[in-house]
Amino acid sequence: MTKPSLHPFTWWLWAIGLAVAIVRFDSTWFTLSCLGVVMVVVYGLREDAPWAMSFDWTLKIAAWILAVRTFVGIAIGVPIPGTELFRLPIVPLPSWMPGIRIGGTVTWERLSSSLVEGLIICSIIVIFGAAASLTSPHRLLRVLPVYIYEFAVAVVIAASVLPQLVGSVKRIRMAQRLRGQNTRGFTSWKRVAITLLEESLARSLDLAAAMDSRGYGFSKKRSRYRPISWRLKDSLIVISAIGLVVIS
Amino acid sequence: MIKFSNVSLIYPNSTTTVLENLNLTIAEGEMVLVIGPTGSGKSSLLRLINGLVPHHTGGILAGDVSVNGISTQMTKPGGMAHVIGIVGQNPANGFVTDTVEEELAFGMEVLNLPNDVMRKRVEEILDLLSLAALRNRSIASLSGGEQQRVAIGAALVTHPRVLVLDEPTSALDPIAAEEVLSILHRLVHDLGLTVVIAEHKLERVIQFADRIVYINGDGAAKVGTPEEILMQSPIAPPIVHLARALGLTEIGTTVREMRRMTADIREMKSSTVLEPIAKRTESVITFEKLTVSYDNKTALNSISSTIFAGEIVAVMGRNGAGKSSLLKAIAGVNRPHAGKVSLLGNDPFELHGKKRRERIGFIPQEPSDLLYGQSVSIECEQADRDNELAAGTTHKVLQQLVPGISASTHPRDLSEGQRLGLALSVVLSSNPSVLILDEPTRGLDYEAKNQLTRMLISFASTFGEAVLLATHDVELVAELANRVIFIADGDIVADGTTLDVLLSSPAFAPQVAKVMSPQPWLSVKDVVAAIEGMQ
Repeated sequence: MTKPSLHPFTWWLWAIGLAVAIVRFDSTWFTLSCLGVVMVVVYGLREDAPWAMSFDWTLKIAAWILAVRTFVGIAIGVPIPGTELFRLPIVPLPSWMPGIRIGGTVTWERLSSSLVEGLIICSIIVIFGAAASLTSPHRLLRVLPVYIYEFAVAVVIAASVLPQLVGSVKRIRMAQRLRGQNTRGFTSWKRVAITLLEESLARSLDLAAAMDSRGYGFSKKRSRYRPISWRLKDSLIVISAIGLVVIS
Repeated sequence: MIKFSNVSLIYPNSTTTVLENLNLTIAEGEMVLVIGPTGSGKSSLLRLINGLVPHHTGGILAGDVSVNGISTQMTKPGGMAHVIGIVGQNPANGFVTDTVEEELAFGMEVLNLPNDVMRKRVEEILDLLSLAALRNRSIASLSGGEQQRVAIGAALVTHPRVLVLDEPTSALDPIAAEEVLSILHRLVHDLGLTVVIAEHKLERVIQFADRIVYINGDGAAKVGTPEEILMQSPIAPPIVHLARALGLTEIGTTVREMRRMTADIREMKSSTVLEPIAKRTESVITFEKLTVSYDNKTALNSISSTIFAGEIVAVMGRNGAGKSSLLKAIAGVNRPHAGKVSLLGNDPFELHGKKRRERIGFIPQEPSDLLYGQSVSIECEQADRDNELAAGTTHKVLQQLVPGISASTHPRDLSEGQRLGLALSVVLSSNPSVLILDEPTRGLDYEAKNQLTRMLISFASTFGEAVLLATHDVELVAELANRVIFIADGDIVADGTTLDVLLSSPAFAPQVAKVMSPQPWLSVKDVVAAIEGMQ
């Protein structure tokens, strides 16, 4: 294993910077190019660790959100005049709901504005997903100050248990396929979700108990065995993100 | 060192007390073993010692537990960290960092020890537990035995006075288990460490224990020397059953003691006729030149064999030898990289839905992966519907396997053994031609293991179907299997009758065989049958 050389805060700060820049720029091309950069960075730098594998799922979830957001955007709301693409049947609504319309003419302008708005939301999810998959949650725990003990425990448990769930999903779906169950469709996911929820709860409790019995948070001071230092590389990455915020 | 005074424990929403009025004093440098049926409260007893119960789990505690003069009522688990090191049932869930070295340092960092002390102690522990070669490895890449050693090291590094371990060998192969236990034994003798350990596989630990605490599950607890407790306890390792079956007045807890006591029996002229190899009936599973690899690591290296109807085949080998890979390839989970698997003429990877259910029954390492119903009855009804059986059929099977499970219980609230029984009855309800089990005895007590043995033997003999299981449990193999395939580093190194394979390696020989060597007897049953044959 190569030694991770970046500070655990680096990618999180970078992600925050990028997210702020995207919101302030509010430009499709900028957002798309940020997404491109993020993907190149993640697939180039991620380690072979359970949390690194969670990025693929982040992408899937983001795509799903984009699809739903776009559909809602074109089907419900105020019509925007412009080039007509196709027509949806109009759902009649009671008279006390003026100004809202479901269905109707879908114009190119309406579709593109829904897409752009959805894209910004998705890009922020993807960027933070990238930070989570590039940073080891365990190293993050080491640099978080002890003063925010409860918060830190919650963050670490969430950040270390969630990615492990990806592995669990695969395992459980495999087991159920072997039981001859259909692994497509909504009901199959419901089955996975129940098993998964129970397992993640048990895992979280285990981890919390282990941290507690090893004295985490008991002493307010904490020594460092091998201090994680902030290097030039970290500064450059964070400065690049801050630079984008300043330009925007 | 550890003092339980009038301790009673009850969990909320529970009608039975876990412990009732327990008085126990454990002296410094003592090694105490906690035994009892699954779900009887062994883990609760262990976690009472550092206050995880009730601080972390809830529950009402009466009486007082104190360690080194510190009472757990006043102090949270964190405040006991410098006195007690605790290793949980599943160490992989308790790791807080990524690499071995960081994990060892974590406990000292939070106790705010100075850097030079930490450096010294990390080196010390790396040597003590022979972890030096692994120091920079990521914990996720270690094998089960290595992870267990890291967890023990991480607990020891703060120089605790007490070490508490919950089933430290349940996931380990016999050799790795031996290694971990002999390290503990050495720590007790060299450093005067006090060790409290819970374990199901008594044959592995009994020789190291100074005293035993036997918990019954109804609140009662008995404390005594191993001989006293095991004399009457229903939970006992095979050599104690051997002593009982032979009608010895005393019982021995080590192979050495038992050999002294049974010298005359061993020297009797053996009339045991070695069973001829079972009739080779029709072949059920054939694999040829099977190769499986992950990334760049070869898990199975071009192996071939055939499994016949009516056989119970145990796949054995070290942690990470390729047992699970073989099982998964046969069950059709992964497509092999080279070679061919044929299951009754089908490619198992191509089987789906009902066809799959009727041919392969697969129980994964976590039987709960198969279960998703909100209660036992929903689970059974689902199985009936899947297999177009009359309502209640699966539940009847379950009643035969593990009697006395309430139909409204949530599968999660069942004990480990009951859950395995439920998964098994769901799988058996489709009447598969082949049954494949991956490590079925993790966390099972002797009673549950006996049930499993009975179930599998009747399945194999009445239906003439093949059973294939991967396991570390030598005693189970001795009782159950009639053929053993031994895998090392992806190659089949031995393939033959259970007797041949188990007797040829001392590390994998069951206790009874060690006592009775050179007689070819593997289990108490064999010994009794042989003696009866002589009379």
